[in-house]
Amino acid sequence: MSLVTTLLEQCGIQASLAQGDDFQKWLINEAWNKYKDSRMNKRIVIENQVKDLNIKLSNGTVRKDYTASFSLSKDVVTDFWIDGCDQLGLKCDISEENECTISGKPSQPGDFKLKLSYKYDGMIDGEEPLSIELPIAFNPNPRSLWKDIPTDKNVIFYKDDCVCEYVKVEEKEETGPRKDIVAASQRGRSHAQEGKARDDHFKLVHCEDSDWYIIAVADGAGSAKYSRKGSEIACETVVAHCLEKLKDSAAFEEKIRAYKNAEDEETARKQMANIIYDIIGNAAFKAHKAINEASKANENSKPKDFATTLMFAICKKFDFGWFIASYWVGDGAMCLYNEKKGTSKLLGIPDEGEYSGQTRFLTMPEIFKDATAVFERLRFSIEDDFTSLMLMTDGVSDPMFETENNLNDFEKWKEFWNKLKTGFAEDEIGGVDLSDDNEESKTQLLKWLSFWSPGNHDDRTIAILY
Amino acid sequence: MARRLPVYLLIDTSGSMKGEPIESVKVGIEAMLSTLRNDPYALETVSISIITYDKDVNQLIPLTPIDDLQMPEISTPDSGPTHMGAALEMLCEKVDKEVNKGSKEQKGDWMPLLFLMTDGKPSDIQAFNNVIPKVKNSNFATIVCCAAGPKAKTEELRLLSDKVYQIDTLDSASLMKFFKWVSGIIGEGNKSMGATEELVLPPPPEEVNVVI
Repeated sequence: MSLVTTLLEQCGIQASLAQGDDFQKWLINEAWNKYKDSRMNKRIVIENQVKDLNIKLSNGTVRKDYTASFSLSKDVVTDFWIDGCDQLGLKCDISEENECTISGKPSQPGDFKLKLSYKYDGMIDGEEPLSIELPIAFNPNPRSLWKDIPTDKNVIFYKDDCVCEYVKVEEKEETGPRKDIVAASQRGRSHAQEGKARDDHFKLVHCEDSDWYIIAVADGAGSAKYSRKGSEIACETVVAHCLEKLKDSAAFEEKIRAYKNAEDEETARKQMANIIYDIIGNAAFKAHKAINEASKANENSKPKDFATTLMFAICKKFDFGWFIASYWVGDGAMCLYNEKKGTSKLLGIPDEGEYSGQTRFLTMPEIFKDATAVFERLRFSIEDDFTSLMLMTDGVSDPMFETENNLNDFEKWKEFWNKLKTGFAEDEIGGVDLSDDNEESKTQLLKWLSFWSPGNHDDRTIAILY
Repeated sequence: MARRLPVYLLIDTSGSMKGEPIESVKVGIEAMLSTLRNDPYALETVSISIITYDKDVNQLIPLTPIDDLQMPEISTPDSGPTHMGAALEMLCEKVDKEVNKGSKEQKGDWMPLLFLMTDGKPSDIQAFNNVIPKVKNSNFATIVCCAAGPKAKTEELRLLSDKVYQIDTLDSASLMKFFKWVSGIIGEGNKSMGATEELVLPPPPEEVNVVI
C-alpha cells in the first residue's frame, strides 16, 4: 500500500498501486497547471497595471543635460531596475520610495529602448522578473547637422557666399573725426546646407567730393530663383542714380538749408519732398525698371523671379547737423539710433504679413502705382548728430527684434547696439569694435553675423554708418 | 518663441484601416519624424499635430515641436463611418487656435501645411461640403491629399485640393515611401522662405500616382 492508495481507501476507493501512482501524477500535474495559470494571471494583472501607468520618457538632445523621472507605486511593484542606460551615457537612480530619475548627457542621437525589469509583491524565488520596454529618443544637436556647401561658381548670377566692406572716411583737421561705414553679408545656414547662393546684397559709397554717404541693402526673396541678381541690381542701380544726382548737389543742399531755416515749414517741406522724390523715389523706380529689363533680357523669366526688398539712405553732415533721406520697401529694419538722446527712429514701416515670410517686394507693380505710394516709403530727417544709422535684412532683424513693437523700442535697440559690441560669449563669437577708422571691424562684423538663433537661418546683411 | 512651421496630419482610422494598414501608417509617420529630426532646419521649426477620424474625431497630438513629439498609440474601431467632414471642422478650429498670426506684438508662424489620408471617402458628405470653403480660407501653404488602397475615392478630395495622390496598396513599403516624400515636402516648405506663392512639391515616388 502506498500513501495515495491508503488515502483513497479512506474515501472508499479501491485502487491498485499502479493506479495510485498514476492518480498521484495526474493530480499533481493538474494542480500544478492550475497553480501556474493563477500565477500567470497575477503576472498579467500586474503587467497590465504597469502598462497602464503609461510611463513616458521625454525626448532629449545629444550632449545636453537630460533628466526624466517617474515613480512606481509600492502597491504594484516592490523592486525594479533599468538596463541600457550606460550605453546611452545616462545613469539611473532609484530611491527607497520607488522614484526613478534618469539623467546624464545623451551620447548619441536616435530612438532607443530601455528595459525596465520589476518584481511585485507575492513573487516567489525562481520566478522571472517582469519587464517592459521604455522608448527613449534623443534628437541630434541641430548645430551639428548644418553643412556648409560652397555655392557652385558656374551657377547663373553667382555671387560670393559672404562679403564685408569698410568705407573709411578719414578724419581731417578741419572736420575732426568723420563717420565710417562698415557692412557685412553672410549666406544663411539654410542656403549653405544646400549649396545655394546668397540672395542678400549691399552697396556702400562715400562721395569724396560732395561728402555724401550712400548705403543700400536688399534681400532677395528666398522663393524667387534669380532674387540674388534682383537684390544686386536694386543696390547697384539706386547707388549709381544717387551718386549721379548728388555729384552736383548745390541746389539740393540749398533746399536743405532753406528747409532748416524756413519760417513757413509747410512750404519748405513740400519743396524738399519734391527734390527727395526726384533723387530717392526715382532711384527706387529706376531699380524697379532695371529689374524688369533684366528679366526681359533673361529668357523664360518674369520680374517676380527677381523679387527683392530694398532699403537705402543718403546722408551728409552740414554745419547745422546731419541730413538723412531714405526709401524702404519690404521687411528688415532701417534705424537711426541715438544713444545719447535715447532715441531710435525707424525710417519707415516694415512690410510684414500675417504669416512669416510674407512681405512686399520692389518688383511688385503696386509699389509704384502712384506718387503717394512712393511718398509713403520716403523719409527724411535732420539730426544734430547720431550714434549710428543701421540698415539690415530680416535675417538679422527677425532673430534680434522678433516683433514690430520691439523695432519701435529704444531699449531693444540699445540692447542690439550692445550685443554688436559684446558679441555672443556662449557661442564664442566676439564683438565688433566700432571705433573710428577701425577697418578690422568688417571681419568682426562678418563673424558676428554667424550668431545662433533657432529657426532663424536666413541670409544676414547689415550696414552701419557710425 | 521662434516661428514654427505647423504641419497637420489628418489620418483615417475608420474600421477598414484596422490591422496592417494603420500599423503601416504608424511606421511611416515614425520614419518621417526620424527623417525630419535629422534635418537641422526642420528640427528647429517643424511642429506637428495629428488628428484621427473615424466615427469620432480626435486630436491625438496638439501642435507639438518635433523634438518633443512622441508617437501616440493610434487605435481603430472595428467598423463604422468615416467622418472626414467633422475632422476638417476640428482642423479649422485647431489651426485658428494654435497657429500664431503675426502682429505688432508677436512674430507670425509660417503658413501651415496639411496632409490628409484616407482609405475611403467622407461619410458625412454634407458636413464635408460645408467645411471646404472654411479649409480654403485657413491659409494653408499647401494641402496634400492621399487616397490609399483600392477603396479610396478621389472625387471628394479634389474639391479640397488639386494635389491629390493615390497609393494602390496599404502596405508598409508604399506608405513608407509616401511619408518619406511627405518629409521632403515639409523640408521644402521650410526653405521656401519669403514665399507668398504656393509651394512647389518635389516629384512623388513611383508608388504614388498623381490624380488628374
